[in-house]
Amino acid sequence: MSAVEKQGEYQPEIVVLYCRNCLTPGIDPPSGVLAAGGIVAKYVPMPCSSKVEPSHLMKILERGADGVEVVGCPDGQCGFLDGNRRADKRVTRLRSLLAEIKLGEERLCMNRGTRLTSEALFALAQKRARAVAGLGPNPMKGVNR
Amino acid sequence: MIIAEWKPIPELVSMLKGHKSVLLVGCATCVAECAAGGEREVETLAPLLRMALKTEGVSVEIKRKTIERQCEWEFVEALAGEIEEVDAVLSIACGIGVQALSERFAHLPVYPGVNTTSLAIREQPGLWTARCAACGDCVLGETFGLCPVARCAKSLMNGPCGGTRHNGMCEVDENVECVWNLIYERAKARGELQKLYEVRRAKNWSNSAHGGPKRMLREDLRP
Repeated sequence: MSAVEKQGEYQPEIVVLYCRNCLTPGIDPPSGVLAAGGIVAKYVPMPCSSKVEPSHLMKILERGADGVEVVGCPDGQCGFLDGNRRADKRVTRLRSLLAEIKLGEERLCMNRGTRLTSEALFALAQKRARAVAGLGPNPMKGVNR
Repeated sequence: MIIAEWKPIPELVSMLKGHKSVLLVGCATCVAECAAGGEREVETLAPLLRMALKTEGVSVEIKRKTIERQCEWEFVEALAGEIEEVDAVLSIACGIGVQALSERFAHLPVYPGVNTTSLAIREQPGLWTARCAACGDCVLGETFGLCPVARCAKSLMNGPCGGTRHNGMCEVDENVECVWNLIYERAKARGELQKLYEVRRAKNWSNSAHGGPKRMLREDLRP
């Protein structure tokens, strides 16, 4: 049973896949689950935002996440030259597919940042939760595969 | 390679409605190279289809499998086990693969998940352009290695049309280079412009699609 169901009320579940290089140097990279402020944020640190494959993002949504936030470095500051641009293009294409199937393109988004704190990452999760609020819970929530 | 692109998801959903269990089959050869039908695409399309069907209020189980080639019977045979568990197949191979599956498993509907578009080369990352029309009477030896059948919008055989743009691009598509301009430039660079004046034999179009379905027989390879 997820944190969402335990509390008996809908709390958007947002998966945050972020590039470790976006963080303020020296801080512990957030990982795991944080339920606070009416949302459930699940953190997935990555060596670069380009590590997200389209299949990963679709499977996360298929498993019931209400929103997915991909966080990469600012344009031109990718440690792997253009990894963040590649991630951005993948996200853009997948957003159009999500719109095509009427699941809502707002369920997936990419943002950029540098020297981010844990609080800043959580703020991005909250921003995504607000963006999907109008869409309601992901209809895939609780669906057995 | 043979290139293809996904059909619109709503079109796929309308094919799959009414089925209980569908096997989504990828092909790890040509369509994998053009990022339309390989294992990665299977792994992306399967959850997308499940979500699309759910939003339509339809419940269809989507199983998935990728084989090395859907155009070779030996590889197709590997699907025999999975086929028993489904009532339809969605193939994201080229039209050859779809027909091979349909022939081997004729008791099931086999739907095409992609539109096969051309024989092409990956010109740049993310850009594939047609290079061959499989016309059955190759003229590349006479046209400096550039195919006017596949690469000219009008398949002209004797030089550019009057619509070629001043910058050497095609009048039909400003993003496509006029192949006859390319042929001219290559001939000029080789110092062989005079070859373009040569009268060439008439092309045998009966070997192309105009001549009906093709069949190639090699007695030396037959059992």
